[in-house]
Amino acid sequence: MMKRLLFLTGYYGSGKTEIALNLAIKEKVDYVVDLDVINPYFRSRESEELLKTNNIDVISSDKEHSKFTDLPYISGRVFLPFQKEDVRAIYDLGGNDLGAKLLRQFEEYENEIDLYLVVNVFRPETQTKEEIISLIKKIQVSSGRDVTGLINNSNLLKETTIQYVYEGELILKEVSNELNLPIVYTCISQRLVGEQHGFEGELLPLQIYLRKKWF
Amino acid sequence: MAKVLMKGNEAIAVAALKGGVDAFFGYPITPQNEIPEYLSKHLLAAGKVFVQAESEVAAINMVYGAAGAGARVMTSSSSPGIALKQEGISYIAGAELPCVIVSVMRGGPGLGGIQPSQADYYQATRGGGNGDYQLIVYAPETIQETIDIMKESFDIADYYRNPVLVLVDGLIGQMMETVDFEKPVKKRFIPAKDYATTGTANHPGRNIVNSLFLDPVELEQHNLQLQKKYQQIKNNETKYEMINMENPEYVIVAYGTMSRICRSAIESLKEEGIEVGMIRPISLWPYPKAAFNEIPSGVKGILCAEMSMGQMLDDVMISDKGRHEIGFYGRVGGMVPEPEEIVDAIKNFKDKVVK
Repeated sequence: MMKRLLFLTGYYGSGKTEIALNLAIKEKVDYVVDLDVINPYFRSRESEELLKTNNIDVISSDKEHSKFTDLPYISGRVFLPFQKEDVRAIYDLGGNDLGAKLLRQFEEYENEIDLYLVVNVFRPETQTKEEIISLIKKIQVSSGRDVTGLINNSNLLKETTIQYVYEGELILKEVSNELNLPIVYTCISQRLVGEQHGFEGELLPLQIYLRKKWF
Repeated sequence: MAKVLMKGNEAIAVAALKGGVDAFFGYPITPQNEIPEYLSKHLLAAGKVFVQAESEVAAINMVYGAAGAGARVMTSSSSPGIALKQEGISYIAGAELPCVIVSVMRGGPGLGGIQPSQADYYQATRGGGNGDYQLIVYAPETIQETIDIMKESFDIADYYRNPVLVLVDGLIGQMMETVDFEKPVKKRFIPAKDYATTGTANHPGRNIVNSLFLDPVELEQHNLQLQKKYQQIKNNETKYEMINMENPEYVIVAYGTMSRICRSAIESLKEEGIEVGMIRPISLWPYPKAAFNEIPSGVKGILCAEMSMGQMLDDVMISDKGRHEIGFYGRVGGMVPEPEEIVDAIKNFKDKVVK
């Protein structure tokens, strides 16, 4: 069971935002907090309407046109889920240690949080146990918090087969054993749901929201 | 490396390394920042050169200098940044030096916005620099095609001693796709760079890199020489794709991201029993004029679709030579059309005809 506040971190383009949207809807959280100051496109703030229809509030930047700018500016409201102890929130960080740095501003809060690392072993620089552990260390130094779980999101988009998800799991199990971190979720495409056979953690079938179908 | 999932801008940077780039000079601008970010790390690690210049103007002149010294060199920017580089680009073309320029288009004019656009077709193919020069311009539609073209572009630039511009929009820069960096591309024989300013060891006297020809006879001669080269490029380097051209009712002309949207529209129209073909220019200069001679008889009209107010439209009209009615559909400012909009434009072709 995820803690009241869940932060998603990971390598650039590992799938944090799609997972944040899917988990938020599945877990019926109160807030999605978009802390992405790295990307100019494909951020959770673009899905404000979708989340609103699911009674989820989006906190990102309250500057005008923030959906269409990449200014490193976030709203003061990002502290709200820390202060209101009866709400649940998912925080969507920007990529790498640079994106994880934004966790530092919450240092004064004692609240226990979960910090899950999203991994797609088919992205460069997170293909081996060593590379993933090196990224975890950098993120922990930069954010001042410990990574508390792993999410296997290994995929090659439309070309993904169950075999690719297993390949990811094999590498993540090595990381899991070495750092004593659980694999909390395994993400698979909706189209592969019938085929799964006992992956680590909870199965998270992904609905793709940000990618247009003609991509 | 087997298949990996890459963001367009990162893939451009990796492909540049695979293409043997020696040096990058640039200045940050959204939505292409991942290119210099990636290269700043990996070029230095490989013992090569990366400079974040003080401006776009400085960066393009550093490209000019390094190309003159015989290096494989590139820069990247987005629309207003490419505008600033125009003077340097004309000088590089005038001095007959090779380089690769990547342009990741965003909405304009002026500062515009940071969302994707195709409004720099004129800038790329007509140029803002002075004089009778041409850039070789490629506009890929997928990240895999962008990689292949990037790798080949360094050879093409060296072979013809001319700048190559790789033109994509912000969406291709920011989106992710599965790619293979080892896919082979055409190899060309590159003659030794005996024009480079590398000292006098290999030839008598000094080499001088220059675009100044004060004697009109010499300058005209230089221009005629350039034209001869451009004709050779037209003959050898024109690239395009024909899609569903067996017996279409209409033909769409679109490039880059827009051609992907149109592919999806063509599928939908096929399901409704309406056959629509597509000419997809891959080289925007040289423009694939000959493709228009292959349009089968019985086609009712040509729809030019762009994420601009109608720039490639000029080349469609020039190439079609008045043989068909020509319609236009465009969205701008960072608005990316849905395939349904193209379906509607075909169904209501009469309303889209350009007067």
